[in-house]
Amino acid sequence: MHLENDILHEVEAAKESDRAADRLIQAYLPFIKAETAKFLRRPPIEGQDDELSIALMAFHEAIHGYSRLRGAFLRYAAMLIRSRLIDYSRREKKHSGVLSIDAKDREEEQSLAETLSSPEDFAESGALREATRQEIEELRQQMEDFGVSLSDVADNCPKQRRTLDACRKALSYAHDHSELMEEFLRTKRLPLTALSEGSGAERKTLERHRKYLVALLLIHTNGYEIIRGHIKQVLKGGEAQ
Amino acid sequence: MTYIVLECHSSYAVLLDEEGRFWKAANLQYSVGQTVTDPFLMRETREKPTPVMRRLGAVVMAAAACLLVFFGSRYYYTNVQSYTSIYLSINPEVQIELNRQGEVVRLHGENADGEALLAGYDGRGKDKVTVADELIDRAIDMGFLSDGGEVSFYIDAPDEAIFRDYGVELRTAITEHLDGRITIVIEITNTRTSETPSDSTPDQTTAASAQSTTNAPQSAGTQNQTAAQSQDEPGQNTSPPQTAAPAPETQTPATQPPQTAAQTGGRTDYGDDDWDDNDDDDDANDENDDWDDDNDDWNDDDDDREEDDD
Repeated sequence: MHLENDILHEVEAAKESDRAADRLIQAYLPFIKAETAKFLRRPPIEGQDDELSIALMAFHEAIHGYSRLRGAFLRYAAMLIRSRLIDYSRREKKHSGVLSIDAKDREEEQSLAETLSSPEDFAESGALREATRQEIEELRQQMEDFGVSLSDVADNCPKQRRTLDACRKALSYAHDHSELMEEFLRTKRLPLTALSEGSGAERKTLERHRKYLVALLLIHTNGYEIIRGHIKQVLKGGEAQ
Repeated sequence: MTYIVLECHSSYAVLLDEEGRFWKAANLQYSVGQTVTDPFLMRETREKPTPVMRRLGAVVMAAAACLLVFFGSRYYYTNVQSYTSIYLSINPEVQIELNRQGEVVRLHGENADGEALLAGYDGRGKDKVTVADELIDRAIDMGFLSDGGEVSFYIDAPDEAIFRDYGVELRTAITEHLDGRITIVIEITNTRTSETPSDSTPDQTTAASAQSTTNAPQSAGTQNQTAAQSQDEPGQNTSPPQTAAPAPETQTPATQPPQTAAQTGGRTDYGDDDWDDNDDDDDANDENDDWDDDNDDWNDDDDDREEDDD
């Protein structure tokens, strides 16, 4: 009972903080490995078995999805881990015989795409990746100034098409009104009223996805060409090809 | 759909798709800046807050169900479940089942005449006295009861107090009801006493005034005598009814309803026994007074403490 209470406290803390979540996951790594081993019927190999990564992700899901109504946390986490491993296994069966181009060669630690490419292409892709990494790091730091992390944005991102369109409208309106972008960068606050009135999107919707809008607006300021190029369809409001 | 890997954690990675959506996914040995095509996306497992009204509705429904069960069972216990039985014996034998409120919940004819007496009659929900009056009227109308006849009530009650109250009530009401109509003998018996017929002398009351004229039709040869009655006595340890002839009052055992004089218009006098019972209550009250005195002493102590504080 005492142990269960301790876990509950840790889970509640992990919900609020990524660092606490990482600590909890590290603490229960043996448990996660054991659950994976049950599924694989052998011990998982770190860095090699995707199933272990799936199980780690599932444990993270369990932290954020847990409530006391679900019973004991570890039992819930074990159930979720198994569920996700089954999903992964089914997906892999569908693609059996098909090798992911992103799959890394175990010995060379290069993805298949990198292996297949020409030396010139490989150098370019390496440079591109490095540039992308730098852009991402800059974006991450700038978002920190706004009190937003990439994980927060992932949690806050709209999933429904309708809501996504509303946010795109707000972005498009801000893009067309540079004074709003300047105000946004200067005050580090979203001009929600102006965006709502100008784009026609409901203020409540924009408020609910505030962190996502911060990331979206920042990406569309100067300096993030690679990332902007990746999501080139966003401003146009169309679906990705 | 392609995804850029934005961030890598031990248990997940953050990806950005081509539509501008950010995702958490399994970190399948990704590195930041990598482009991937087939991630294993994390599912939304957060417990969505139940709409307040739905939650409130569930609480209200649960509370309503509990109240329904509670009050339903209380209603059944109080109003439907049989608590006391009165066996009306004229010659027709009728069982009258009462709830805790003294209202009739069921009527049974215990013999053929009893069933005949009840045919077409529904006394459910009525007070016992009303039903007793109505059944006696029916018995008179149907020729089961006539002048000089006897009506016996065998009361099967869970405690003495109820037996006593019901007995007094029935006797008083029927006496008044038949006043000036016919002369009968009313007998009240507690079916739960273990008195032998020789010991038990149930009360007898002549429920009539000096007038002997009857309003109810009499049919010859229908007077029921005690001999016939004694054959169908219900309950256990019942005292057999005495003769129908008006008899001088006999002493009433303590468990019996109080004796009645029935000298004037069928009114029932309360016996001394009732006052004796009240004496017991007085003693209880005295004990309460002692308790009050103890409290006063305690109060005095408080006063002392207050003085000390000063």
